[in-house]
Amino acid sequence: MKKNSNALGISNLKKFILKPEFSIVIMLVIMLVIAAVLQKNFFEIKSVVRNINAYAPLILLTMGQAVVIISGGLDLSAGTSLSLLTCVLATVMKRNDPVTGIYAILITFAVAVFIGVINGIGIGYLRIPPVIASFATSFIWLGVALFLRPTPGGESVGWFKSFYNISDVAGVPVFLKTFGTFVPPALILVICGCIVWFIMSKTRTGRYIYAVGSNSDSAYMSGINTAKAQMVACIINAFFIFLAALFFVGQNQSGDARLGDPLTLRAIAAAVVGGIALSGGRGSVYFALIGALILSLVSKIIFFANIPNAYQTLVSGVIVIIAIAGSMIYTFYSKRTLLKGEKKIT
Amino acid sequence: MIVLEAKGIKKRFGGVIAVSDGNLKCQAGKITGLLGANGSGKSTISKIICGVHSADAGEIIFNGRTVRYKNPHEARQDGIAMVFQNLSLVADLTVWQNIVLGIEENKGFFLNNKTAKDLSKEIVDKLLPGLDINKKIFDLNSGEMQIVEIAKALSARPKLLILDEPTAALEQTQVKSLFNYMRTLVETGIAIIFTSHRLWEAMEICDDVVIFRNGESVVSIDFDKECKDPEKIVNYITGEVEKIRVDKNHTKITDETVLSIEDLNYGEFLKDVSFKLKKGEILGIGGLAGQGQRELMLALAGNYAGVRCDAELNGKKIKLNKPSNVIRNGILLVPGDKQLEGLFLKHSVFINMIFPKLGLSRQPVFTPNKKYRKESKNIIDLLSIKTQNIDVPVSTLSGGNQQKVVVGKWLPFDTNIWLLADPAKGIDIGAKMELYQYIVNQVKEKNISVILYASDNEELIEHCDRLLIMYEGQIVATLEGDNINDDVITATSLRVR
Repeated sequence: MKKNSNALGISNLKKFILKPEFSIVIMLVIMLVIAAVLQKNFFEIKSVVRNINAYAPLILLTMGQAVVIISGGLDLSAGTSLSLLTCVLATVMKRNDPVTGIYAILITFAVAVFIGVINGIGIGYLRIPPVIASFATSFIWLGVALFLRPTPGGESVGWFKSFYNISDVAGVPVFLKTFGTFVPPALILVICGCIVWFIMSKTRTGRYIYAVGSNSDSAYMSGINTAKAQMVACIINAFFIFLAALFFVGQNQSGDARLGDPLTLRAIAAAVVGGIALSGGRGSVYFALIGALILSLVSKIIFFANIPNAYQTLVSGVIVIIAIAGSMIYTFYSKRTLLKGEKKIT
Repeated sequence: MIVLEAKGIKKRFGGVIAVSDGNLKCQAGKITGLLGANGSGKSTISKIICGVHSADAGEIIFNGRTVRYKNPHEARQDGIAMVFQNLSLVADLTVWQNIVLGIEENKGFFLNNKTAKDLSKEIVDKLLPGLDINKKIFDLNSGEMQIVEIAKALSARPKLLILDEPTAALEQTQVKSLFNYMRTLVETGIAIIFTSHRLWEAMEICDDVVIFRNGESVVSIDFDKECKDPEKIVNYITGEVEKIRVDKNHTKITDETVLSIEDLNYGEFLKDVSFKLKKGEILGIGGLAGQGQRELMLALAGNYAGVRCDAELNGKKIKLNKPSNVIRNGILLVPGDKQLEGLFLKHSVFINMIFPKLGLSRQPVFTPNKKYRKESKNIIDLLSIKTQNIDVPVSTLSGGNQQKVVVGKWLPFDTNIWLLADPAKGIDIGAKMELYQYIVNQVKEKNISVILYASDNEELIEHCDRLLIMYEGQIVATLEGDNINDDVITATSLRVR
């Protein structure tokens, strides 16, 4: 170490490298490189579009989950509420009446907000531990979804496909068709989600979500309505789930009550990989997005690495654990290095 | 002009009466000191005034109006801000975000971060120039946190500011600049309520003091009319006319070395620390706050696995790699941060008392509860811990009494060495004297040795046979005999000499 190294001596680059987030970016780069090596046409537009379509639902769910976790909660009902929303969409729409698509979107949006409010009341106002509260509501959403669609099915208007692939929709102008081959709607949905969170994070509520998750007692003493902040976090989460539901119905043209459940825990794991602390208050929603990408790439790599079917799940589990442990060790060491640099300026 | 008047305040928590008759008057442009032992009700009445608790009976008149706040936010908007003893900061937000938390201003739809930063910078610069307002709270030390806490209270531009032991975490220089700032604040016409365990601080800064004892305000002294008489104030606080004095130079220090530490290194925190501890000696560790004293105590107690050193206990090599190892060798730590290191807050006093026993000494298959309860009760009497009974959760005790439980749980052990890391932090004068009296007696009777770190130089001067001064993780001076006095300690701590 240099003689006069102190806080000012550390260059901005070094500071950036020592940030815990940096390890997540590195991990993403490594995953991308491995994937590109294993799959020759990884960076071709067709394949990129396909990958975005495949990853978008997990990304959306992870970002929503991240908001809830930052606020000090946890949403185990994310998957089943996704199922419920697809079922609502597919039930309200009538194939031959394009206007029903609009109704369906409005009604489903209202249901999403309702889901967020109910979860928010449980977690924020009634102070039920989030795991229990959302676990309980997950059965309600599943129950309603099964009531609406005991088996996968339902109807969808034609133009709803534009949430999956604009080119598939009949009677679309040529320039939109070309646009659709380059920019998948899934990407637009993700960007929509990012914009909504960007706006929220610049408001009072956005800051309060962090404050409540970090230390709800301190936040309360500062005059913050902690329950309201947690409820807003749940509603934002529900909005992300709503976006994912639009995508799924666009893709499948139907609703499925069993569709979302496997995604719940994957989204939580992805958020953790993306540096969201389960204790709340720490992490960034955008890095949660990267976490979801990493997790998705893991399955892709395993698929292309010719690992026997029987071991795929095992290997993916090991990779996830290594990824989380790696980022924790990195945080630990970078913090120590920073401390060494900054100590004793006085 | 009287800004605030509290009359006949009563408050009980469960079965414990925290305040039985609290009366208080604050004037604009004056600093009112609130003095009293731990659990005397001064914290509670502060919290009632600022809306954290609501009073069971009594009346609070603020600016000529009877008020009853439902939460701290209402009080803050009305012009009463309190700086909390257990910090109310959010660790994951930055300094300036914390300062404006709850009173953020909007610019259109978005938050107005620029005015928030300007305001924060303005306040922080007056209190602690050089503190980066973009740092996150978890990167600050406890003194800096306390400053931010005060800045936060000031950001709401209060008419009445309540400071609950603001100086406990501060260094002497920080205390000085805080006092200067408090003076400029009261000149603008606001009133300040100030509590502290350090008597000289109250004498220095306050215009009048109200003294609490057992939940009652016993007397109010106006320093303009009456002279500042520390003896009298101490008598009001403790309620006893006779003071217990700890006598020094009673211990027979033998030449026998109990513990010898050679070249103790731990990262950047401790560098080449070497010293020898003699049997029956009270060895002090002093210096400015945050120069590695805390780390040294924790390292000696085996809390840092990465410590490198040669340690010998009674001529036998020992390893300082884990706490259980060190404790088995009879080296016991009484940590300073009781809430983090010393206690299971949600468990009962009894469980906390016997816990070290259960883990560390040979036990019959069934725990002899009756015997242990009796022992625990003895310790509670010995240290006069104020608790309803031994089965209530430790968290219901006041801060000073919690600390006594931490000290108490080690007392029945056979010890070679006691490591006392600021054991009297937040304990009132009476209890502090009793505690040290007990320690000194133990040293005398059982011929054990003590390493004492205290943030208050007074305690070190009074008790230590030898004093090591630390600076930047190193021992820079060893003081002995008459050299152990305030001037020399301050000078060597600041490396003037």
